[in-house]
Amino acid sequence: CMSSKDTDIDALALASQTEPADVLYNQGLANLEGGRLGEAAKKFEAIDKQHPYSEYARKALIMRAFASYRSGDYDEAEGSAKRYLALYPGSEDAAYAQYIIGLSYYRQMPDITRDQTDTAKAVQAMQEVVDRYPNSEYAEDARTKIRVGSDQLAGKEMQVGRYYLERREYIAAINRFKSVVDVFPKTRHVEEALARLTEAYYAMGLTQEAQAAASVLGQNFPDSPWYKDSYALLQTQGLQPSAGRGGGAGSWFSNAARRLTGASEPVTTADTAPSAIESRPPRGA
Amino acid sequence: ASAISIQLATLSEADAAVVNRIEVRGNQRVDADTVRNLTQIRTGQNITDADVDAAVTRLFATGLFSDVRANQSGGTLVVNVDENQIVSDVVFQGNSRIKNEQLQSIVQTSSRQPYNASTAQADVDAIKAAYVRTGRSDATVTVRTLPAEGNRVNVVFDINEGDRTKIDTINFVGNNAFGDGRLKEVISLRESGLFSFLQKNDIYDEDRLRADEETLRRFYFNRGYADFRIVSSVAELDPTKNAYFITITVEEGERYVYGNVNIDSTVPGIDGETLRGELKTKSGDTYSAEDVEESLVNLTNAVANSGYAFAQVTPRGDRDFTNHTISINYVIDQGPRAYVERLEIRGNTKTRDYVIRREFDVSEGDAFNQVLVQRAKKRLEGLRFFKSVNVSTAPGSEPDRVIVIVQVEEQSTGEFSIGGGYTTGGESSGPVAEIGITERNFLGRGQFVKVSAGFGEDTRSYNLSFTEPYFLGRRLAAGFDLYRTENSSSTAYDIVRNGGALRLAAPITEDLTAQVAYNYKQETFGDDQGIALRDATGNFILGPTGYIFTTCADPIAPLYTASPIINQAICDSPYSTSSVSYALTYNTLDNQQDPRNGFFAQAGQEVAGLGGDAQFIRTTGRASYFSLLSEEYDLIGQLSGGAGNVTALGDDLRVFDNFFKGQDIVRGFKYQGLGPRQNGVAIGGTNYVNASAEVTFPLPLVSRDFGFRGAAFADAGSLWGLDNIENEFGIQGEDFSLRASAGIGLIWASPFGPLRVNYAQPLAKEDFDRTQEFSFGFSSRF
Amino acid sequence: CQTAQVYNQGYIIDEQSLSLVPVGSSREQVLLALGSPSTKATFGNEVFYYISQKRVRPVAFMQPRLVDQRVLAVYFGSNNTVERIANYGLQNGRVFDFISRTTPTGGRDQSFLGSILAATAPDGQSIVDAVSRGARGGGGVSPGR
Repeated sequence: CMSSKDTDIDALALASQTEPADVLYNQGLANLEGGRLGEAAKKFEAIDKQHPYSEYARKALIMRAFASYRSGDYDEAEGSAKRYLALYPGSEDAAYAQYIIGLSYYRQMPDITRDQTDTAKAVQAMQEVVDRYPNSEYAEDARTKIRVGSDQLAGKEMQVGRYYLERREYIAAINRFKSVVDVFPKTRHVEEALARLTEAYYAMGLTQEAQAAASVLGQNFPDSPWYKDSYALLQTQGLQPSAGRGGGAGSWFSNAARRLTGASEPVTTADTAPSAIESRPPRGA
Repeated sequence: ASAISIQLATLSEADAAVVNRIEVRGNQRVDADTVRNLTQIRTGQNITDADVDAAVTRLFATGLFSDVRANQSGGTLVVNVDENQIVSDVVFQGNSRIKNEQLQSIVQTSSRQPYNASTAQADVDAIKAAYVRTGRSDATVTVRTLPAEGNRVNVVFDINEGDRTKIDTINFVGNNAFGDGRLKEVISLRESGLFSFLQKNDIYDEDRLRADEETLRRFYFNRGYADFRIVSSVAELDPTKNAYFITITVEEGERYVYGNVNIDSTVPGIDGETLRGELKTKSGDTYSAEDVEESLVNLTNAVANSGYAFAQVTPRGDRDFTNHTISINYVIDQGPRAYVERLEIRGNTKTRDYVIRREFDVSEGDAFNQVLVQRAKKRLEGLRFFKSVNVSTAPGSEPDRVIVIVQVEEQSTGEFSIGGGYTTGGESSGPVAEIGITERNFLGRGQFVKVSAGFGEDTRSYNLSFTEPYFLGRRLAAGFDLYRTENSSSTAYDIVRNGGALRLAAPITEDLTAQVAYNYKQETFGDDQGIALRDATGNFILGPTGYIFTTCADPIAPLYTASPIINQAICDSPYSTSSVSYALTYNTLDNQQDPRNGFFAQAGQEVAGLGGDAQFIRTTGRASYFSLLSEEYDLIGQLSGGAGNVTALGDDLRVFDNFFKGQDIVRGFKYQGLGPRQNGVAIGGTNYVNASAEVTFPLPLVSRDFGFRGAAFADAGSLWGLDNIENEFGIQGEDFSLRASAGIGLIWASPFGPLRVNYAQPLAKEDFDRTQEFSFGFSSRF
Repeated sequence: CQTAQVYNQGYIIDEQSLSLVPVGSSREQVLLALGSPSTKATFGNEVFYYISQKRVRPVAFMQPRLVDQRVLAVYFGSNNTVERIANYGLQNGRVFDFISRTTPTGGRDQSFLGSILAATAPDGQSIVDAVSRGARGGGGVSPGR
């Protein structure tokens, strides 16, 4: 009494008879060249289903991740890439699979006023590319993506810091800006963080802290507009950015300056533009 | 280094051997290279038995093989495998109540995984359990497999859903304080009835019964029955009738009142007595768990306000079983000193961070105060942007630091609505349709945007409104409205109104809000007949409805209606009103849509005269008080009243600026049915007053979950007073005279939308009033 | 009626525990008596700052106004003992406008149309379908996902 609307059995049999794996694979590649990404992903999925765990299935799986990523279906791309890594950890395209996972999160990074979980996942996945496949061709782009991702995470801390500073809730603001200086010294937000610290401490009357923050800013970014602002602010009370008590090796000022040197490699617009390697298919294809 | 290598050499001779080839046998579909890759054994190394075992377990772990045997002969490692059948497709037959995707997620067997009979059986039980949860306990499920090419198999689950399992009866044993009817109203499970296919609240489910027990406990605890306990709650399934019989046995115990209530504080500087005002639990009143909780919150709040952020309030009650009193002792002592290190907001994929953060009065670095955190949680839920808001804490970097984590789950705040309705009152009676787009969380900024258009038989209305709840970072709701209405319901002339308002609302306290607005409105009256028709001898030819139609420019007053005052006002077109209005609103209603308790009052003034033609001051006020008269019979009483006056500022008041009242203040009268008239045409009045008393009650015979309620009401009111009618005649009803009516109503909260039907009999009226005993209002939005 | 609301924010000062940390007491004693500081010196942890602020919100819609601010600064000498304790009040503070410029950041923002489409046809069905299903019921998450 099977109702007709369900998939009836003979249609099922039809679906499960197999076409040769290599035929399907070439059809998939042809679709890819023709730009029909969705169609290509279907072909690769068919191989995975009809010839599971065969060599073609492995190739098809990574190609499906590539096709899904290019067509913007990031969840599918991430899923296929993760399955590939689970089944074929040592194979040659493992680096690419990990890279695709990172890219899928990277493409969904929201702006700084919203939840940055995807950004954190992108940075983490790209870090794995750099750690586990240091000399793969994707490591370089992964490092750029890590810089852009961390810059975004630092931007989030700054946004919350500015929210509290505006309301003159100095504890919250100072601790947020300090976390940027401690955790994301390599992002360009560190300049603004130091300037905001100068402002916050100055507004509270803790001039010594304000001077210290301004001097570290001056040490590391002498020609940054932020330093000019901080300098001008201190001048209103005739103060100088100064090293604070004693200049000895132990004093907190000198080690602070040392820690920041070689600090931010600022994220340039070239970094945020999509790199060529992103659109290249995996080598194993 | 050399010593070590020698020693290794001897070891390898005994049990490790160099493998230079791995041979795979017995694999049909799985590719030999894949097997080699999975063993992770490199040719050319020497391997030990342990490596071989590890490889075998790894191969088993993939689940691809039912059996794996590996042995070494000379330089080659031979691995032979028996492959498991691989599932090609999983198909469900005969399911309609539960969709395939849901079943897919319940079932373990999935395509590309090895087929395993025991998991398939476990899936059968899982599907059956899913059906029981949707109220179909007699569904039957079987599984079978169909071979497919390449040692693969298709798995088919045949499902026969059977029909809905109903709840035949729910009865209570041992309840005498509250009747069965009242208790059935309290719990969520319902007996199956006509509409249960819509509300789906007659599906028996173990955890719903547990939840209902909890609701019953709370219900009794809040009404003095501190010893209440549920002896047993049993649901028996009668397979022949495919229905459940639920019996809940309770033991109510005695009803308690408060004994003596005191506050003692171990924290220096806090004197308990001064805080007595915060308590909701007065000795002698009936005990209620809710009151105790509310008193706790008030006390903690008061204490926090006076600088003791870490003080903690814990109630200690001791029961006196003989004379059934509970004395409560609120103990205030020093709680743990914890500070908020960070306020983490997660899950906001649409709403911006500051829209959530600004609802918190506690910031990072402040003392952790549970009351302020709970208040913020309530405010966030009040925004209706989120499906769920839960606030949890995690340990911070220091022992006295805590991280507050706010996890929100966004919900769709946009609404594309098409509404319909039928009203017998209002400017345009008859069928009315409305189509509109509302977005409550515009671009995640918490702003409200609404664009809508309404169509009646002969009316059109267009509306755009925008509100920013936190104008200039303060809790000021600022916004603007733009509207246009076209109304040609009167046969003689049509009115077009274009207008807008700039408004600002500011909360003074939690309950009191002030509103200020600038309004601009321009009305143009068009007479669609227009040119006067004169015959050869020069006198007028009567128009189709017996009136002579002339334009305003004509020397003799045009006769759009029988009232010269109205006709004169129609000629005064276009007419603009530019006014400033301000109002104060006090609102403590427990629920805005259908209040059971609370008070609402609003009073305000509109001053017109900053430019524009209109010059008047219009003062209005209204108040209504709701109270639950009887718990037992769920009677809700409502007392409301209102009054208003409009006085001209400049020369004279335009008739259209009068109040026009009818069924909106005294039911039983037509729209604009009462008050001053000229030659039978309503010309409004400068003062009005009205009062109304109403009781609503559940319809006795009908079961409560149909959503019917009856109402009995009495209204009274009057509209009187006119400005500069010296040389007018044919005026009636200029002086005060009370109109009154009494009636009954039927309210139905139908699944399609609220509906109300009223029948009111005017008791006191003037002979020139227009009455309409029957009125009907229904609106639905989907 | 009492509309003003008082907020005691930041560190809650407890006068007697202040007397437990005279000059010369160790860093552990300070942590034990006063708890962990609101914030430490930006570089190195030579100074503990305990910051408390008092705000009053006269009427519900207004922003709380800072009425009192106290900073307790505990300076540690080279041998990790308290060298000096200083108090800063509201009068030491300066009121000025903060710089409005911000460092640009990336990330996808959300267009108005995107939010409307997501609201009405979350999983790609036609708008009519979403309406017939009752847009309220078929809520979906914004396209950012």
